[in-house]
Amino acid sequence: MINFQEQLEFFKLIGGELKERVVCFVIGGSAMMFYGAKDETKDVDMVFLEEDGLNMMKQALSKMGFDEKKSVVKIFRRYEKARNTPVMMVRGEERFDLFLREIITMKMSETIIDRAKETHEFGNLLIKVVAPEDIFLLKSATEREKDKTDALSLIQKFKLDWRVIIEESLHQTKLGQHLFPVYLFDFLYELKEDLKAEIPANVLGEIRKISEDLLEKRIGRSFCQEQRFLSTPNSAGILAFKKKVRKKTEGKAKRGKKRKR
Amino acid sequence: MDLQLCAQKLEGLCTAATLAKKLGINERTAINYAWKLRKAGYLKTAYGGSKVRIYRVSPFRKKIVGYSFYELLNKYSKIKLAVREDYIIHAEREPSVEEILARAAVHDSFRVVLASLSLFNKIYDWARLKKFADVYASGRKIGALYDVARTFMRVRRMDERTRRGLRHGKKGYIIEGVKSKHFQDIEKEWGVFIPFNKADLARYKE
Repeated sequence: MINFQEQLEFFKLIGGELKERVVCFVIGGSAMMFYGAKDETKDVDMVFLEEDGLNMMKQALSKMGFDEKKSVVKIFRRYEKARNTPVMMVRGEERFDLFLREIITMKMSETIIDRAKETHEFGNLLIKVVAPEDIFLLKSATEREKDKTDALSLIQKFKLDWRVIIEESLHQTKLGQHLFPVYLFDFLYELKEDLKAEIPANVLGEIRKISEDLLEKRIGRSFCQEQRFLSTPNSAGILAFKKKVRKKTEGKAKRGKKRKR
Repeated sequence: MDLQLCAQKLEGLCTAATLAKKLGINERTAINYAWKLRKAGYLKTAYGGSKVRIYRVSPFRKKIVGYSFYELLNKYSKIKLAVREDYIIHAEREPSVEEILARAAVHDSFRVVLASLSLFNKIYDWARLKKFADVYASGRKIGALYDVARTFMRVRRMDERTRRGLRHGKKGYIIEGVKSKHFQDIEKEWGVFIPFNKADLARYKE
């Protein structure tokens, strides 16, 4: 585990090692530590917008005794399908996960970049801390039990702007993450049911509506592709509405057959 | 009242009056609470227009690390800026006025550049300013801003050696795409476009 002070020391050392200015974003636990919402984190997650920055960071960490780990720990949903897996730099119990533009199921959009309102300068290393809403969205992309409790503490401690969360999930669909709101709904539903999180009913309803529409739209386009998604249910809520969608599509198919006759 | 709960209730920006209203107490007691919250690390005080105290309350005890660029700029400048995006510098020592001025000149924000003009009055070590101008590649911009500052307020004289040294910087815009109507002679001399007109500097005469 890395605490806040250790994290700062690491960044100072990296900033000293870097020869050129590198800009990156911190997400997850390390971002929560900057906000004072968490005391320690298992790993430091950083997102780079440019490949050069990531490579320079890798080199700096290698100089500090970190080694690149090849096998990827399964943290994120749909990890196997993801093209962009993080570079993991490990030294003993300390770990840095370096992402390039994408964080498995989520893309670093301009809106996320604009919302980062805190910048820390450590020599040549410029670190931007993403907004609490975006930390929450990123937590929704993971499968670890601890991330659920982190998300719960985010809801309890911050006045999360749910509008921003809904809009960003929609924005992600435009960037190619077509089922992002579906996964988000699933995550929120689990949080509400299992951990009794205070999520406004209208927010849940709205995301559910968006997810339903998206699923129906996608099923209409390529039914076979979505069959794969329908066979991996995650919660009772999502199962129920998947059934509903299935019924609808079956109904459509029957009606089509009748017409042919 | 538990201070954490109190901070959660008051999260955001408050004045003494709104603090009292939110907690349902009188203003005197509210100021006492503000003192307690500040001691516990939940509250920060800033001064708004006509010296009204503005309290920034957060339910987290944020550990104070590094030096905030905006706080330092506000410390030295006559024009105080509201902190919208915090920029924290992690360094061994507190950045000097010269460094803040050199950083402000390349900040690409109108408010920051305008506020930085009054920093020329606080500079005593021109050689150090030259050094930081080289580090942040803002020599010409600083030179041009100095000449603008001299047109409307009393500023200490820059020595000729520093002035010559500042001419080696990059030419171009201080704020991308913004030119001045009133300081074209200075723009010509330094090869840098000034983002202000005379009316923008009226703030300093208030």
